[in-house]
Amino acid sequence: MSDLTRSMEATGAGAAARVEQQRRALPNGVWGMALLIATEAALFGTMLASYYYLRFQTSQWPPPGIARPEVLAPAILTGILVATTVPMFLAARAAGRGHARAAMWLLLVAALVQGGYLGVQIHLFLSDLHKFSPGQTAYGSVYFTILFLHHVHVFVGIALVLWLAGRLIGGLTNYRLTATRAIAFYWYFVNAMAILVVLTQLYPSL
Amino acid sequence: MAVVATPEAQARVERLERIWTERPGLLGWLTTTDHKRIGILYFFTTLAFFAAGGIEALLIRTQLLGPNGQVLDPAAFDQVMSMHGVTMIFLFAVPISTGAFGNYLLPLMIGARDMAFPRLNALSYWLFLCSGLFMYVGLISGNGPGAGWFNYVPLALKAYSPGPGIDYYALGLIFTGISTTATAINFIVTIFKMRAPGMSLNRMPLFCFAFLAVSFALVFALPALSTALIFLELDRLLGFHFYDPVNGGNTILWQHLFWIFGHPEVYIIILPAFGIATSIIPTFTRRRMVAFPLVALAEILVAFIGFGVWAHHMFAVGLSTITDIYFAAASLIIVVPSAIQLFAWITTLVTGRPTFKTPLLWIVGFIVLFVIGGLSGIMFAAIPFDQQLTDTYFVVAHFHYVIFGAAVFPILGGMYYWFPKVTGRMYYERIGQASFWLSFVGMNLTFFPMHIVGLLGMPRRQYTYPSGLGWTGYNLVESIGAYLLAAGLIMVVANLAVSRFRGARVGNDPWGGDTLEWATTSPPPPYNYAVIPKVSSPYAMWDREDREQDALRLAQGRQVLEQGHETPVTTVLDADWDEIVDMPSDSPWPITFALATSGIFAMLITQHFVTAAAFCGLALLVLAAWHNREPQEA
Repeated sequence: MSDLTRSMEATGAGAAARVEQQRRALPNGVWGMALLIATEAALFGTMLASYYYLRFQTSQWPPPGIARPEVLAPAILTGILVATTVPMFLAARAAGRGHARAAMWLLLVAALVQGGYLGVQIHLFLSDLHKFSPGQTAYGSVYFTILFLHHVHVFVGIALVLWLAGRLIGGLTNYRLTATRAIAFYWYFVNAMAILVVLTQLYPSL
Repeated sequence: MAVVATPEAQARVERLERIWTERPGLLGWLTTTDHKRIGILYFFTTLAFFAAGGIEALLIRTQLLGPNGQVLDPAAFDQVMSMHGVTMIFLFAVPISTGAFGNYLLPLMIGARDMAFPRLNALSYWLFLCSGLFMYVGLISGNGPGAGWFNYVPLALKAYSPGPGIDYYALGLIFTGISTTATAINFIVTIFKMRAPGMSLNRMPLFCFAFLAVSFALVFALPALSTALIFLELDRLLGFHFYDPVNGGNTILWQHLFWIFGHPEVYIIILPAFGIATSIIPTFTRRRMVAFPLVALAEILVAFIGFGVWAHHMFAVGLSTITDIYFAAASLIIVVPSAIQLFAWITTLVTGRPTFKTPLLWIVGFIVLFVIGGLSGIMFAAIPFDQQLTDTYFVVAHFHYVIFGAAVFPILGGMYYWFPKVTGRMYYERIGQASFWLSFVGMNLTFFPMHIVGLLGMPRRQYTYPSGLGWTGYNLVESIGAYLLAAGLIMVVANLAVSRFRGARVGNDPWGGDTLEWATTSPPPPYNYAVIPKVSSPYAMWDREDREQDALRLAQGRQVLEQGHETPVTTVLDADWDEIVDMPSDSPWPITFALATSGIFAMLITQHFVTAAAFCGLALLVLAAWHNREPQEA
């Protein structure tokens, strides 16, 4: 027992990577994130189920006067966002091997793409608002609510990535390594939800 | 402080004491991250809400004491009745079991020194307190919600409930939901990762299995409520149309979302009570629980199947017959795991050597009331029966037998059972027994006649009734029963309050308890255990050799972990040693973050959306400050 890892003493890159390799179970921080994701997935699940519940209670969807959603831009955007899974995965792997700098740069690349995605999405959201409003029909209500929920998750994800990249400037610790794994995990979830959200958003045109 | 044999051991204990003791006074309480102190804060707060909900219940019963009651006008009655339900469910039953009992006991039972995320735990409490006060600001300012605890639309929409009452309800419950979700996540990680080495999952006390099941149910059930409430507030505050049939919305959507949460919630309320029962019964019958693995599985199954039965609350809505039949069948299946537990408790009682001290009396009372409430519950799975009696007092009788009888009785029994552990003193046994009998008689007098008036056609939620319908006598008995019940509950509180200062002092283990919490001092020290306990069965306290080894290891300095706020983290299934982590100590950030969050909700209810966004920014800044120092820098 005396040779057991005291995780918090791992304040250098090598020591943090060693703790990571010796550990047999997922660290508490990653478990916490997994459960946050579980409850968030249930939130998205009930929101998306509500969309289809409302849809199948009516014959015309979208209602008369509202055009079917454009497919191309949201589909391409989602593809770009989902592609950030790669730098997030690589960042977690680099951190796990003790490469703080590499992890930080990968996170910044991801944040740049994610930020661009969010910017264009907000533009599309506002231009949709000019065409039809959430206060007009239930279709508009559920359409804008689900998109907004997704965008909030992207915003929170970017904030987490930037915060983490800032911490990594000071090098790697056990705490930051666990944070990298947890935040990468969060982004896998956001990206998976992005696919479900865009499929639902474009559903009337598919 | 623990009394220990050798000077070396004594020195180690004193060192732990220095490391773990938090700052004294009010500031210590405001910044605490000690799960026991947070548990105590939860206990007193939920008790205050219980008193508020109780006063509301007495107002309702006083109004209905005789025909044409004039104590409350119709609007006030609606608000008092709605807040009674909301308070008892969201501000008392769930938080006292998870927040108070779970917080205080779970880490002790699994041999941990704290929860997995101590500051998140503190945050849960402060968010809970603020959300409860938020809802009561509504009621006290005359703006309580008036659409019942399940708040059906269209009644709850702006057109029919124009005041801010429903907004207090909806925003308040979203607010509480954040707190409860954080608690649930914390419990799951604590149970999975913080168990003492050797406590593999099959050696974990049944109490912890119950809390594991409850926590998972909360993680997956609360989002449905949040979705329902977010839609409702968007409809009410911003003119969206989720529930407005004229513009493509649907009122039944609320009912589905609410009950997808609402039925698991019933099991969320009752499962901790099952956990308490499975703690008290072995201790007072001097034998291990019958069918331990089956009971553990049944606790988890109840929570799981609970997600598939929600539409049995909607049999009168006009869903398709095939839907109704599916939900009726699913509801009947729940009888199986419930009966497994029931028979296990009874068999343990019958085959053991029971001593009917106060805690066990409450548990026996609970079993009787659970059988009555369970039997009337099975009746509701018969669709025509449900359609006949839904929205009558028969339903009120049923769910009070289940929620008050089966969930609150074990909580009261648990209060007596763990009182010596928390305070180091013993309650007055005779007064304890008298308080049980008074409450048991009061409970049955209050709620049993409701079955009959329900069958006679008295609808629930009406603020008064005329004479000559044959309901008067029953209602009188119910109201007398309610006063008796209140007297019984006051007796419980008075007994414990006086005993806290005057009760006889007790040692670590006055009952010969079976689980680990009885191994440490009463009250437990801030670090819980001077040495990380050895565990080789679910009845750790009955394994005398293990406990003797603990004392030996303390003297030898093995498994003491005295270099800081240290606690072991173990593997999920087998609880093998994995690592040693430093736990954060007291922190001002949880309460600050809770205050910033309160600002968001206060601004939303007054419809200052820009200021609400500013408070969101403030909350983010607080979070950044919170995480500015890493544990090893603290």
